[in-house]
Amino acid sequence: MKILVAIKQVPERDAQVHVAADGKWIDESDLNYTINEPDAYALEEALQLKEKNGGEVVVVCAGPERVTSTLREALAKGADRAIHIEADDLGARDTLGVAQILADAMKAESPDLILTGLQSDDLGLGQTGVVMAELLGIPHATIIMHVEATGGGLKVKRELEDGWFQHVEMPLPALLTIQSGGNKLRYATLMGIKKAKTKETKTVQAAAATAPAIALERVYLPEKQKKTEMLTGTPDQVAAKIVEKLKFEVRVI
Amino acid sequence: MVDVTLAAVTCTHPSGTMLFPAMWVSTTLAEPAHFSWLETGLLVAGIVASITLFFWRFGPILRNIFHSKKDADFSLHPVGRRVWDFFWEVLCQGKVIRQRPLPGLAHAFVFWGFLAFALVSSNHIANGLQIGFLSPESYIDKFYFLFAAAWALLVAVGITGLFIRRFFVRPIWLGKKVSIESGWIAFLIFLLMVSYLGAFFVSPDGAAVKALWWTHTLTLLVFLPLIPHTKHLHLVISPVTVFLKRDGFSKIPPLTGDEDFGLVAGKDVTQLVSLQVYSCVECGRCTEHCPAANSGKVLDPKEIALGVRSYLNTLGPASDVALLAEARPETSFAPLLSMEAAFECTTCGACEYQCPVGIQHVPVIVGLRRGATNTGMWEDTYGTKLFLALEKNGNALGLSSMERDKFIQKEAFPIFDGTQEYCLWLGCMGGYDPKGREIIADFARVMNYLGVTFGVLKKEKCTGDPARRLGNDLAFQTLAEAGLKTFETAKVQKIVAICPHCVRTIANDWREYGIAPEIEHHSEFMARHKDHLPKQASGESIVYHDPCYLGRYRDVYEAPREIVRQAGTLVEAPRSHERSFCCGAGGGLAFLGEEQGERVSHIRAAELAGTGAKVVGTACPFCNTMFRDALAEISEAPPQLLDIAQLTARALPNASESVNQQVR
Amino acid sequence: MSGVLVVMEQRDGNWNRMSFEALTAGQQLAAKLGVECSAIVMGDGVGSLAVEVSSKKLAKIIAIEHTLLKAYTSDAYVAALDQAVKQAAPAYVIFPHTYQVRDFAPALATRFRSVLISDVIAMHDGPVFVRQLLQGKLNADYRHTAAGPCFVSIQAGTFRGDAVEAGTAAVETFAPTLDAAQIRNKPGELFRESAQTVDLSAAPVIVSVGRGIGEQENIPLVEELAKALGAELAASRPICDNGWLPMERQVGSSGQTVSPKLYLAVGISGAIQHLVGMKGSKTVIAINKDENAPIFEVADYGVVGDLFVIVPALTKAVLAARG
Repeated sequence: MKILVAIKQVPERDAQVHVAADGKWIDESDLNYTINEPDAYALEEALQLKEKNGGEVVVVCAGPERVTSTLREALAKGADRAIHIEADDLGARDTLGVAQILADAMKAESPDLILTGLQSDDLGLGQTGVVMAELLGIPHATIIMHVEATGGGLKVKRELEDGWFQHVEMPLPALLTIQSGGNKLRYATLMGIKKAKTKETKTVQAAAATAPAIALERVYLPEKQKKTEMLTGTPDQVAAKIVEKLKFEVRVI
Repeated sequence: MVDVTLAAVTCTHPSGTMLFPAMWVSTTLAEPAHFSWLETGLLVAGIVASITLFFWRFGPILRNIFHSKKDADFSLHPVGRRVWDFFWEVLCQGKVIRQRPLPGLAHAFVFWGFLAFALVSSNHIANGLQIGFLSPESYIDKFYFLFAAAWALLVAVGITGLFIRRFFVRPIWLGKKVSIESGWIAFLIFLLMVSYLGAFFVSPDGAAVKALWWTHTLTLLVFLPLIPHTKHLHLVISPVTVFLKRDGFSKIPPLTGDEDFGLVAGKDVTQLVSLQVYSCVECGRCTEHCPAANSGKVLDPKEIALGVRSYLNTLGPASDVALLAEARPETSFAPLLSMEAAFECTTCGACEYQCPVGIQHVPVIVGLRRGATNTGMWEDTYGTKLFLALEKNGNALGLSSMERDKFIQKEAFPIFDGTQEYCLWLGCMGGYDPKGREIIADFARVMNYLGVTFGVLKKEKCTGDPARRLGNDLAFQTLAEAGLKTFETAKVQKIVAICPHCVRTIANDWREYGIAPEIEHHSEFMARHKDHLPKQASGESIVYHDPCYLGRYRDVYEAPREIVRQAGTLVEAPRSHERSFCCGAGGGLAFLGEEQGERVSHIRAAELAGTGAKVVGTACPFCNTMFRDALAEISEAPPQLLDIAQLTARALPNASESVNQQVR
Repeated sequence: MSGVLVVMEQRDGNWNRMSFEALTAGQQLAAKLGVECSAIVMGDGVGSLAVEVSSKKLAKIIAIEHTLLKAYTSDAYVAALDQAVKQAAPAYVIFPHTYQVRDFAPALATRFRSVLISDVIAMHDGPVFVRQLLQGKLNADYRHTAAGPCFVSIQAGTFRGDAVEAGTAAVETFAPTLDAAQIRNKPGELFRESAQTVDLSAAPVIVSVGRGIGEQENIPLVEELAKALGAELAASRPICDNGWLPMERQVGSSGQTVSPKLYLAVGISGAIQHLVGMKGSKTVIAINKDENAPIFEVADYGVVGDLFVIVPALTKAVLAARG
């Protein structure tokens, strides 16, 4: 089975972000980048499928030169090949635009299966996978916890709300977006890094950007910062205050 | 001893003999005067057989050692230290006696006796070939024979003592199985001595002297081939092992080349490791002091050495078969040479410290971990979580670095900008752990009080200590290189840290990738300034716990004690200094899951609380966090738990009253 | 092309409650823009549901009926909505941001060469849609810039489902052209995992107890609170060490790592080993007698006081609130 994994490079989760001068994105000068966590799970699922059923895992990533470090890490964890779609203007492309350049590069590979994380840690739109499937004309399923290859097709386990799950059978080729936590990630090893040096990374140029359908106009700090609010009063008053919070803020009652 | 011998010589009759009632006693050794051709022939045949049998086993051992991989980092430097270790540990038997005084002394008698006997034994055999070079008539030689006789007595007493210990006292460290071969060896040594001493009691002309001579000879000829077949191999090679052991305590050797991932298979075992494992005499000192072996875990450092040895004996040094039992299921030897065991080690180094024959266990155990981790074979939920946290967050706790930023802001620590004297290293405990933060904050107060300027780094990543000890060289290298770059960019000259693990890793382990600025532990810093720190009159009893990475690893024992003495009355734990017992956190184990068997921290906490001291004084935030849980559980009213920085800071005037004194 | 169209969600004749939050959002957006708001109900036999919504202030209700819409598949949903939206030609299509919407709405938007503005937490004049970036570290204003309809999904809890304005609306039935051959996925029945062992990592609400509880006999006090909240009971290491609760309920570095919506810490001081296991919780409430306990540093709401008084009072209040 030939599996393509679309991965994204995002700022580290605990990075302290500052709004850029133009107010349209964050200041990238002092940022460290890493693999988008849900994509790490997609890669892990791909590697496990390969270990079980054989085949090839190819990682695909769009972005500027810096994304090659993330591709190299993916190779170190066990991917066989990498494709770097060179594009310095991802910010000028919306989900459709990015999905389009990924789909273009993937089509040429004629994969059996495409995996990607269910959403990105930075933009969090959660759509690139589904849009790619639509552009490629292949079936998809989202928020997948488990993948099983059946004769010629797949049986996947979808996560639904409130602890419900559903099995879905689908033909190949197909696209799945993978939920975080379904698998255990593997750590990068010295052996993996050494092997990665001998693996191929192909670079392709992204097509020119087209007019986006949605525009990010402004980014800013949310007004409410997390701060501990101390609740005081008699035990009954405190209990009433907590219940109030549970009802309207936390929404678990 | 010499005086007695001289007296014995001077009071004898000119003929050299005295007649005691019913007993022939001589100060002259009786030697057979004549050997028949048949006897000489038998002797030669015996010698040839004995030497052949010796090399029949010793040859393959030497081959295994020489055919093992070369130690790329080996250097004879520093020769002075090597000569000293040889003198002290081998010739003086310093380690053997110090760690176990009575059996140690018995062993030393046997060893020194053997040395005294070297010439006597050579002459004894030479006599049989008619080429004896010592003469019982010559005064010097006569003196030498008597000198050897005195040693023979001591050896006989010593070996009898060791025999009684092994077969009747039976300390558990010698293993559950009674070693019959040891009994035979003891018997042979005893026989050697008795047959030598006997020759002073017989007439040189009788048949008895021949009988004694042959008894002595045959014993020697049987003894020689037994050496390489038993653990008495250490007689031959442990002096070499002690001289050649790797320089530096628990030093983890660098990996060499693109195919080296640590101890994966036999082909990765280096010559030093081979030499060391063949030296093992199975005395069990390592086991006796190992926190894992003492808390019901699988790991037994002795079994690691013996495991590698039986691997080499079975498969040889060029084998591709995995060293760890889990990865070679079709083999049955050395089941305790396992991944499970290797990952139970706290790297406390007690084994290595105790070992009298120069075995360095920790690099072997870490080597096995490297082999498992660098190849991705080690799959452990907590270990993976730790490595991913180090990859992603750069700290072992997997917390956001913003948490550290917030803490720095809250404490209003200055950021290091090159103008301050010290860079105060927070470490993951000091930066993230609530208790570690208290320690750092108190140490910062001490520095402020002393008027020593310091700053903290804006960003700090883990030193890589847990990755290093758990065998993840990729994570370690990444962190070490990042750390070195951070110090270089910030132009740091001097670092001070509250965590001995950080200190050790930065000062020693980072050297593989560059030279870090000078670093010291806060105990050393405070001890240097102790005259300017307030002395507390409370007299409160404080038991001090030596952290492994400050004591055995860094040889710092006195500095923290000086601080403790300033704060109260120092109480020593039953096991202290070099023999301190681990808290259970080292070697990355603080981050792994639940322990098998008893918790190491509980054993130590009970020991510390058992001293009755009011306060447990620590000098490592990991020890502190381990004891925090353990003390609360073992006692209703546990002693207070304070770091030496807290012990010092509690006597300082409040921050508002404190005047920055320029004391340096 | 004008108007707001809200796509409501049902399964087997039962509403997804978030549909009404989306309906409120749609009504408010329509009011702000001065246009009409309509709603779509889709499935196989959704007539009674459509009638239920006809008491709301809506221009019309489009009931999309087809046997192939009985069980959800993205292929059928996208095809049906593609036709219905084209016919209704709204300027805005509003969805609740449910798992199902996440599965098909991006593909639907692609059919219109548009992009779904997903997981919206506020709407401002313009209209500008606010969503969170970088796990909530930043907010971002998005605007629709293409010619076609604007697709938006609304985050749970952003609007009140009980604030839908009442009125009357006509129900229109729409029969899409669907072919079984175009549906590629075969969905199975929904199921829940049989809970063999305690999986705290999936629990949405956790009540966790620490050393402050004092004695094993006091554990039921916290158990009752957990029961009232429908929460899983968890503990810090000392509790499990003492055998007061099984090891599998331990949260922390040597236990489980959890990320519930609510983590209610009772009598837990917050040692680092514990904090690393629960730092991913969305909301943390801590009850502890020590005001300096580190747990308060990570808590959203803190109560300093005697847990033996506060916990029973809270249990009572929760039970009362749940009726």
